[in-house]
Amino acid sequence: MADIGIAAEPVDLELAEQFTTKAQQREAATLGMWAWLVTELLLFAGLFLCALILRIQHPQSVTLVTTHLKFWIGATNTVVLICSSLTMSAAIVTSRLGWRRFMLGALLATASLGSLFLLLKGFEYYQDYDEHMMPFLADRSYVLAHDQASVLFLDVYYITTGLHGVHLITGISILLWLTWKASRPAFLQTHQNRIEIYGLYWHFIDLIWIIVFPVLYVLNR
Amino acid sequence: MSPLDTVLRDPDTPRITLDRPADYLHAQHTLRSWFFTTDHKRIALLYLASITGFFILGACAAGLVRLSLVVPNGQIFSNDTYNKLFTMHGVIMIWFFLIPSIPATFGNFLIPLMIGAKDLAFPRLNLLSWYVFMLGSLFTIVVLIVGGVDTGWTFYAPFSTTYSNTYVIPALVGVIIVGFSSILTGLNFVVTIHKMRCPGMTWFRMPIFVWTHYAVSLIFLLGTPVITLALMLLVMERAFHIGVFDPRLGGDPVLFEHLFWFYSHPAVYIMVLPGMGVVTELVAAFSQKRVFGYKFVAYASIGLASITFLVWGHHMFVNGQSQLASTVFSFLSFAVAVPSAVKVYNWTATIHKGTIRLDTPMLYAMGYIGLFVLGGVTGLFLATLAVDAHLHDTYFVVAHFHYIMVGGTMLAFLGGLHYWWPKFTGRMYPEAWGRVGAFLIFIGFNVTFFPQFILGYLGMPRRYHSYPPEFQLLNVLSSAGSTILAVGYFFPLGYLIWSLWFGKKAPANPWQAKGLEWTTSSPPPAHNFLRTPVVDYQPYDYANKTRDNG
Repeated sequence: MADIGIAAEPVDLELAEQFTTKAQQREAATLGMWAWLVTELLLFAGLFLCALILRIQHPQSVTLVTTHLKFWIGATNTVVLICSSLTMSAAIVTSRLGWRRFMLGALLATASLGSLFLLLKGFEYYQDYDEHMMPFLADRSYVLAHDQASVLFLDVYYITTGLHGVHLITGISILLWLTWKASRPAFLQTHQNRIEIYGLYWHFIDLIWIIVFPVLYVLNR
Repeated sequence: MSPLDTVLRDPDTPRITLDRPADYLHAQHTLRSWFFTTDHKRIALLYLASITGFFILGACAAGLVRLSLVVPNGQIFSNDTYNKLFTMHGVIMIWFFLIPSIPATFGNFLIPLMIGAKDLAFPRLNLLSWYVFMLGSLFTIVVLIVGGVDTGWTFYAPFSTTYSNTYVIPALVGVIIVGFSSILTGLNFVVTIHKMRCPGMTWFRMPIFVWTHYAVSLIFLLGTPVITLALMLLVMERAFHIGVFDPRLGGDPVLFEHLFWFYSHPAVYIMVLPGMGVVTELVAAFSQKRVFGYKFVAYASIGLASITFLVWGHHMFVNGQSQLASTVFSFLSFAVAVPSAVKVYNWTATIHKGTIRLDTPMLYAMGYIGLFVLGGVTGLFLATLAVDAHLHDTYFVVAHFHYIMVGGTMLAFLGGLHYWWPKFTGRMYPEAWGRVGAFLIFIGFNVTFFPQFILGYLGMPRRYHSYPPEFQLLNVLSSAGSTILAVGYFFPLGYLIWSLWFGKKAPANPWQAKGLEWTTSSPPPAHNFLRTPVVDYQPYDYANKTRDNG
């Protein structure tokens, strides 16, 4: 790789004692993360199902709520997360090549995009608050109070996006910790596959949002 | 047969006694070596000790409930105390004993041994899941004892979110935390079974015990997140008034029941499937016969795990669910009987014409089969729409699920504990005491719970602390039975602990059983096998008399 002026480091994996081969260890780690992601999907699935059933049972009330949701902030956030998945992929590819500095940059870019998402989301919650769209606040009137059926959908919106936000906060924390670990010289030689495993998780948070966005914001708008 | 072939077929032969490494119990002695161990066998024993403690607590609560029900007017405890007692019994027994019982102890110990692996795929994650389990369960138990919760183990909304004046939120937080431990254990098992099998250990050479644990792990992975969500929503509603279940806050109470039972019905199979795995091993070993219809039993495990996700609505027949939904759920609940019956018939066919030995584990296995059939058949009564309208929320339901959970899971747990005790500890338990204990538990159990079928049929509702005086006789009978049951439980508790010091030293394979776990020493060395086993034979290879082991 000398022709583009990046020094490639050796990339490998340290064999843990319970495994017989490195291939076995790699496959086990990947399958383990996929199994975890399945549980994450099931965690959100209940909420998606609630939202969809509410859309069938109370279409008018739900449409009323969706017109109050901040479509453009949601859409921007979708783009932000897709970009962060791109930088995450860049981190994975460069980690395989052993380009440590490039990889660290891509990881930090991913963390920044994730934080940007959270900032925008926070601003969106503030606007919701400003527009009296929080029916669970006892001391604040609710703008759609005439429509009781709208409350549940709105609550599902807060819980779903809040749960997704919690996943992003954890994700960013782990990412920063991983970046710190990966900044050490021996990391790629012993633990390169951690970047790949983490990448699966990050892409998955992105994927969850890509389901959240149409289910809550877009359908029947 | 070449000399090399003998070596591969029987890993026991080439062992040189002098070079033998210390077994996993004696490899290290410090307290630290137990609490920071990553050895799946030691973690299994940590689980065994903790759930035994929880079982004793849950059983004490049950004893107090039965004491209260000796008199019809509920004079012994106040209403509130009674509600807290049965909640304590249910929460501890279900969330902290039955769900982790067989998977976290036997599964943890035996899956790597049975598939010829050195450990689970993620040993540190395994230790973490024990700590997570202890954190959640101890927290909730302190809350239950110090403050008390009166919602029952089901936490139905809106009672749990709005009306109950007890410590619901802390109890829920503990149960949610324990859920993560289940998920991590299930994840570990799935990856281990997929990726860690030794050379030659194909899917259809795995013992049924491993198959049932695979099925259970799938339920852990697919079901637990949903209960985590449901309980989280309860916390949200109770703490922040984000209305999801309480109609006054814009919520829907039936929604909670849907989310709750989507996990909690499969949870019944988290409790039952591992028991089925244990009983399959016991029946084969004590009949010295290959499991009849091995592949069907394996498929039936996966079948049960799949169908059980589609029957949750049978808990809501009388809760305003649509007629169509109820009919479909009723039909699917009947369908569960098919894979269950496949298992029962295959066990009996395995015993048929076998070389039967009625040692303690086999007594428990026989008890299991009988009680599971009774529990299963009464389940069919409850799955029938019209009959359920009469029996819903009565003692008939209580008796039904105790036949499944105590008659099923608990007997399988005790049977398995005796069967693998030599492997766990390197000591034999006293056989005569074991048999007496098994009989006492069987009799005590039936005297306790059979009257409850009659009580329920006559219309006594569950969860009330007073009842009409004409029900007193049957209630007294049930309470009397529970004392026999309690005495029965003290037998294994006493002699198993005694055997740790005074029991006879166990040989590697005291039961002449087949299976890789019996080819290594009792107790096994730190990484299970001195050399990686190679499997070139079918499971339950009892027909092959030329080999003693494996």
